[in-house]
Amino acid sequence: MFHEYRSVVGDGDQAVLYCTPESMYPITVAAGKVFNNKYGSFHHDDMIGVRYGSKVVSHDGRGFVYVLHPTPALWTQIVPHRTQILYLPDISFISLYLDLRPGKVVIESGTGSGSFSHSIARTVAPNGHLYTFEYHEQRAATAQREFVEHKLTDVVTIEHRDVLANGFGKSGIADAVFLDLPAPWDAVAAAKEALRSTTIGRICSFSPCIEQVQRTVLALDEHGFSEIRMFECLAKDHEVRTVPLPDIAEAIGGNKVSFRPAKGDRRKRRRDEEPAAPGASDDPGEGGVLVSKPVNAARGHTSYLTFAILAPGPRSP
Amino acid sequence: MDAAVAEGSHVIIRMPSDNAKIVCVKAQETIELGKFGSFKGSALIGAPYGHTYEIEKGGAIRPHRQLAFDDADITEANNREIVDDTRSQRLTFEEIEALKARSLAGDVTAQEIISTLTENNEAFAKKTEFSKSKYIRRKEKKFMKCFVPLETTVYNLCSHFFRANPAKIRGIRADTLSQMLSLANVYAAARVLAVDDAQGMVVGALLSRIADGGSVYAIHDGDVHNYDIIRYMNLAPEGRDRLRTLPWSKLDHEMEPFTEQLAENASEQDVLGRERRMRAHARLAETLDTLRGGEFDALVVSTNYNPTSVLKRLVPLLGGSRALVVYDQCKEPLVEAFTWLRASPDFLNVQLTESWLREYQVLPSRTHPLMNMSGGGGFVLSAIRLAPGQ
Repeated sequence: MFHEYRSVVGDGDQAVLYCTPESMYPITVAAGKVFNNKYGSFHHDDMIGVRYGSKVVSHDGRGFVYVLHPTPALWTQIVPHRTQILYLPDISFISLYLDLRPGKVVIESGTGSGSFSHSIARTVAPNGHLYTFEYHEQRAATAQREFVEHKLTDVVTIEHRDVLANGFGKSGIADAVFLDLPAPWDAVAAAKEALRSTTIGRICSFSPCIEQVQRTVLALDEHGFSEIRMFECLAKDHEVRTVPLPDIAEAIGGNKVSFRPAKGDRRKRRRDEEPAAPGASDDPGEGGVLVSKPVNAARGHTSYLTFAILAPGPRSP
Repeated sequence: MDAAVAEGSHVIIRMPSDNAKIVCVKAQETIELGKFGSFKGSALIGAPYGHTYEIEKGGAIRPHRQLAFDDADITEANNREIVDDTRSQRLTFEEIEALKARSLAGDVTAQEIISTLTENNEAFAKKTEFSKSKYIRRKEKKFMKCFVPLETTVYNLCSHFFRANPAKIRGIRADTLSQMLSLANVYAAARVLAVDDAQGMVVGALLSRIADGGSVYAIHDGDVHNYDIIRYMNLAPEGRDRLRTLPWSKLDHEMEPFTEQLAENASEQDVLGRERRMRAHARLAETLDTLRGGEFDALVVSTNYNPTSVLKRLVPLLGGSRALVVYDQCKEPLVEAFTWLRASPDFLNVQLTESWLREYQVLPSRTHPLMNMSGGGGFVLSAIRLAPGQ
C-alpha cells in the first residue's frame, strides 16, 4: 500500500486514522474490530467500503476521525520510534541527491525504525530493491514485521547483520548506499564493494556529530570516492494568522481597540495545527492583516549529510 | 543512466572554477570551455562520467588524478610577517600574462605555472600550511585545464540552474524540489497533475520518479509548453510519452468531432497534414477526457498565477486522501492559499514550510560552513484533500 494507491478502504488494508496532526494512528483494517480513543469508538466495519479521505463517525455519534491512505510521509509522522528517525527534509534531500528512482537498487544500514526504508521502497518500486541491514536483533525483527504488514517484502529485504564487522555480503549490485551508523567510516570499504562498478555509485552518510563526518570524509577520500560534499538541511514550519493592525490614531483619539483574537470556528479548532496565539486568529476577519511567522520551536539540527560518488571504471583495491 | 557519455546525450561539464555548462555531446562538434580549453566531442564519447579529465594540447583528453585532499597540517606559521601588497610577487604583470598565454596554447601545464608563481612569491614560504594549500587551490581553479562530466540527474540539473540561472526555474532549490516529491508521494505508477512555470524543472522531477503505469498531466501557459529542462534529462522515448500537456486555454474546451475532409486531388503533403491534425485532435480529446475524469494521485504546482485560483480550479480533479503541493519563491502568494485551504472543510494537514540548506567545507582541521549560502530556497505549501462530499 506504500507504493500504490487504492481508492476505497478494504478489509486487511493498512490505514491511518487522523484525529489531529498530533494524533494519528496506524491500523490494519479488520472486519469486526473496533478502534477506541478519546474521540470515541470507531468500528472498522464502518470504514470498509468508504473512500480514502472519508470521515468516520464514532459509535455514539459524538466524535469522528478521518481514514487516510498510508504514505511514507505519514508513516514518518506516526512510526513508533525505536531509534532517532529520519524526517522528511533529510529523507527527501538524500533521495534526490542519490538519484533514487524506480528500478534503483539501494543499500541502507541501519534500518533503525524504518522511517527512511518506507520512503526508499516507495521510490524504487516496483522493479528496484532495498537491502536494509540492522544489527539490533529486536529492531530488525520489528522492522521485518512492519515490512510484511505493509506488503513491502517484494521491494525490501531486511537482514539482521552487523555490517561494521561483516560487510553487506553484496558485491557490485547497488546504485546507492545510505549509512546511518555510529562509525560509518568503518563501512566505507563494504559500501565500495557493494556499489556497481559500471555506473556512478552514490553514497550518503548520515551522522549527527561533526567528528564522525571528519573521519568518514577521510575514509571516503582514501577509498577513491570523489565529489565529497557535506550539507545540513532543515524545513521550518510557518504559521499563518490574521492580526488586527489598527492605526495609532485610534489610540490618540481615545478609542479602545481590542487586540483579542476573533472567535474561531470551534469545530475547525479541533483540527487545527496550533492553538491560536493571543491577539491572533486564523480567521481572515475584517480589518485584519494576514501575517505569517516561523513557529516558536523548530528543529535546529538533525544530522550532517555527507555525500560522495564512486566513478565507474577499474578499481584499485 | 549510462556509465559513459554517449553521442547526443546532454552532459553537465564542471570546470575547475566550479562553474558548469550543459553541452549536448556530438562527435564532430567542439566543446568550448573558454580559458580551460576546448576539445572535440568525439574525445568525450565513451568516457565514464564522474572522473576528472585533463585537456591536453591538441584537444585530446585523459583521466587526471582526482583533486583529493591535501594533508596540510597545523604549523607554527602565522600571518604576522605577511604584508598584504603586490610586491611579494616578483613576476611582473606582463610576465604573468605571458605565462597565461602559453598555458592557453597548452605549452605549459597548470602545475608549472603554479610552481613558478609560488617560487617567485616571497610571502608564500611564510604562509601557514593551510594558507599555502588554499593559495594553490585558488590558482588551480584558475589554471587547471580539466573538467568533470556529470550526469544530468534531477539533482544536478536543479543545482546547476539554481546557481547559473535561478529565474529560469523560479528559484527552486534542490532540497525544496525534493520535499515536493516526498509530500506529493510520487511513485512509479502515480498519476500526477502538475502546473509548472519553472521551465520543466518540476515536471522533469516528476517524470524521473514515475515508470510504467504512471503519468504526468501538465497544464501550461501559451499554446506550446516550454519545458526546456526535460530536454537535458536524456529521457528514453517512453519516459517522455508519460507526459501529457494541455494549455490552460483548452481546459474548458468542448471537443467537436474531427470533420476535416481531404480535397479531391490532395497532395501527399495534404494527406500527411490531415493525419497529423487528426492525431492531435484525438490526443487532445483523450487528454481532456482523462483530466476531467479526475482522481489524480497528486497535484503539484509551481505557477506565476495566483496559486489560490489555480488550486480552486484543479483541486476537484484530485482524489481523496491525496496530497496537493504548491511551491513559491515568495511566501505571500502561499499565505493566501494557506488561509483558503485552512478555512475549507475539504483539507487536512495544511502546512507551510520554508526550506533551509547549508553546505560545509570538510578538510582536516578546517571544517566550517561555506562562507556563502543561498538566501532562500523557497516555500512549500501542502495539504491532504479529503474525499469529496464529506
